Amino acid sequence: MVVLSEISENLQKGKAKIVKELVTQAIAEGMDPEQILNEGLLAGMNVVGEKFKNNEVYVPEVLVAARAMNMGAEVLKPHLAASGVVARGKVCIGTVAGDLHDIGKNLVKMMMEGKGLEVVDLGTDVSPETFVNTAESEGCQVICCSALLTTTMGAMEEVVKLAKERGIRDKVKIMIGGAPVSQEYCDKIGADCYTVDAASAADAAVKFCAELG
Amino acid sequence: MTASERFRKYLSGEEVDRCPAIEWATWWNLTVDRWHKEGLPADVDNNEKIQDYFGLDKCLQMWIGYRTKDTPRSAGNGLGIVNDEDDWERVKKTLFPPVETVINTKTLDYFERARQRGDTISFFTVEGFFWYPRTIFGIENHLYSFYDYPELYKEMCELYSDWLIELFRYTFEKFRFDFMTFAEDMSYNRGPMLSKACFDEFLAPFYKKVIPVIHEYGIPVIIDSDGDITEAVDWYAEVGADGMLPLERKAGVDVSTYLDKQPKLAFIGHFDKMCMKDGKDAMRAEFERILPSMMRGKVIVSVDHQTPPDVPMEYYKEYAKLLYEYCEKATHKGENIAPCPVFEKK
Repeated sequence: MVVLSEISENLQKGKAKIVKELVTQAIAEGMDPEQILNEGLLAGMNVVGEKFKNNEVYVPEVLVAARAMNMGAEVLKPHLAASGVVARGKVCIGTVAGDLHDIGKNLVKMMMEGKGLEVVDLGTDVSPETFVNTAESEGCQVICCSALLTTTMGAMEEVVKLAKERGIRDKVKIMIGGAPVSQEYCDKIGADCYTVDAASAADAAVKFCAELG
Repeated sequence: MTASERFRKYLSGEEVDRCPAIEWATWWNLTVDRWHKEGLPADVDNNEKIQDYFGLDKCLQMWIGYRTKDTPRSAGNGLGIVNDEDDWERVKKTLFPPVETVINTKTLDYFERARQRGDTISFFTVEGFFWYPRTIFGIENHLYSFYDYPELYKEMCELYSDWLIELFRYTFEKFRFDFMTFAEDMSYNRGPMLSKACFDEFLAPFYKKVIPVIHEYGIPVIIDSDGDITEAVDWYAEVGADGMLPLERKAGVDVSTYLDKQPKLAFIGHFDKMCMKDGKDAMRAEFERILPSMMRGKVIVSVDHQTPPDVPMEYYKEYAKLLYEYCEKATHKGENIAPCPVFEKK
């Protein structure tokens, strides 16, 4: 009988193959898919996120843990769909126009998926139109903009302006992050949230999705 | 006192007439484009000429890579050229050219003449043991490689460090650079990208292998890592480095805390580039913040990673004037200033 804490522990160590095997075994044993997700995969990723916030684990450890989670989640997905389990919310994320840096964006994406959110990854060099169009067409509650360069962070303000023009600011929260970004800048451009790290960004997105329903 | 003598004495903890006034990095092309529109003469179009124009001590860099014309190119930004052991077996045959073919002796002669002229500091740069595997694996795969390909990582660094030792001996026998940098960029605004355990296993052995060779030639080793290096500064001190740059203020770096814990190290950079667009008063306030650290230790102020394009040329002229003013203010007699490890009496 699979113990869910084993899934969580192996995920934290980045043991992707073992996580996949354990999830497969748990399903075969008739365990509830939602319980496997919450108490196995998401519980493990939650620990990784907290340790990352506290500098107890670093980027490579987050990456291998997220990979393990994704391998387990792949097995779990059809069973979750069959039992009517839905994501905790939907986010679109990208690196803003003119900026090709994506490690920070990818970390935030992994952390958000680790919180049970559905994430639409728009990649890098994403125009304000793409952010806003995607939020509208995909029904995202959160737009998440990343930038590494001082010269590209200005594009975040364009996203906020465009969302306002389209009249979706009451339906969509806009989060910003990246090395040159600060709370002061977030306030200045009228975005909804700035967080200092990827794990905190995921926490904030979960909160926004819960608020917006 | 020549610029070179001043720089080396300063890092030795000895008395100098003033601190070195340098920009260690080149200028951003967008910034230079702006300044050309604001009156920077069109023929002031390279690093040396810009340094001259603003009256800075000149700082020349020689950056040597390990690739050849046969080395495959990556398919895109951030992507690598090796995914596994088989790729490495193919690619490694195209790396590490004979050292005499990568060092242009005419360039070394040019550096020597610049030193004799008295206005120039020169430094030598190679990729470090975090940066180099990142360019081989690609940004993301590099971060996985600590878990997926640990032995391959070490083999790559073993070969590279052997080549570096040969390169250093060949080059430094001909010309003694004032300092050298290892390009690393292993930190971001939340601290190092890897753990101390990973550093100790994957990077430290190779630094411990090459730094003593560089020190044999009396050349200080400065590690170039952007981001918050508060943790990493201790790690690099442990492997024998003499200093770090550029100490980005935006990432939360405070050099005064580094002087407390690593008094032997030198630090270059740390002037908050983000304040420059706000003009003279903001820049003076930033110099005042750093001045006590300049007077306490071996802190060579320089923009903490290139002047942004939102800074008018007139403001940069003010910056250069202030830099000289504070370099003179911070002059010390060398009392109680610890020398960098390379200058410690053995």
